[in-house]
Amino acid sequence: MGLQGLQMQTKPNAGLFKRNPPIAGEAEAIERAKNGDPDAFSKLYSLHKRRVYTLCLRMLGNVSEAEDMTQEAFLHLFRKLGSFRGESAFSTWLHRLTVNLVLMHLRKKGLQLVSLEETINPSEEDAPKRDFGSRDTQLAGSVDRVTLERAVASLPPGYRMVFVLHDVEGFEHNEIATMLECSTGNSKSQLHKARLKLRELLRNPEQLPEVESSREVVQ
Amino acid sequence: MSDLSKLDFDSMTVAEFEQYLPELFASGESGRLSEDPRLATFLTANPDCAALVRDLETIAETAKSLFVSEEEPSDKVWSNIEKKLKH
Repeated sequence: MGLQGLQMQTKPNAGLFKRNPPIAGEAEAIERAKNGDPDAFSKLYSLHKRRVYTLCLRMLGNVSEAEDMTQEAFLHLFRKLGSFRGESAFSTWLHRLTVNLVLMHLRKKGLQLVSLEETINPSEEDAPKRDFGSRDTQLAGSVDRVTLERAVASLPPGYRMVFVLHDVEGFEHNEIATMLECSTGNSKSQLHKARLKLRELLRNPEQLPEVESSREVVQ
Repeated sequence: MSDLSKLDFDSMTVAEFEQYLPELFASGESGRLSEDPRLATFLTANPDCAALVRDLETIAETAKSLFVSEEEPSDKVWSNIEKKLKH
């Protein structure tokens, strides 16, 4: 039995624009912040702290590191704000800046979270099983966002990275390939494997760890 | 990645479907893959594959709802930012 009643699947690029509509007062705050107005920068922080923090948390899987990277992202934003020309939505630009900082942080840590080898060859235990055609692997009902959040936190880091960047954040495969220094084919392949793995995990949602605890052990 | 132009959608095997599926999803310009007319015959003949496609579409759709989050960093994050900006 498959799942019913879903919306049209749109291309990520289209989703980006739909999901990043102009925020009231944002443009003015950006211009004032560029001129050094601390209240305006505070407003930008208030407007975007949740999504930047959540992005960091999903990519890092650790609350403490996510807070540190949120801090770094906004400090970096403060230094780079003058270079924002409005050619893309501000939140898109800020998210790309954040992703690059997180990836740089991970590489400095020496974690092979996004290496080709790791994403192409996850451990046998982590890889999705190749039994997608069998009836007993099918989801039995709709997926709620809380359960999906727990399943995403349980993904192997390489799968989680590509899934979050594409399906949650709306980046396109060519953007992900550039950020992760891999091919677009690899990005597509890893996204597919991530979704297959999520399908497996979602078949037994009662076995998924709670989000907070899972985030602590995902690394 | 697999070249879709070489694929015969009506006569492909399940193994070929598996091989081409990442590219099929990535090329989903026409909307939902489960409603792609090129796949109609194959998915009708292979209900497990049809269910797989629908499930993966559901996962991708639900993922979009994760974009908006109610979680926020602790107050110390902004305090630290303020301190660093003053120096």
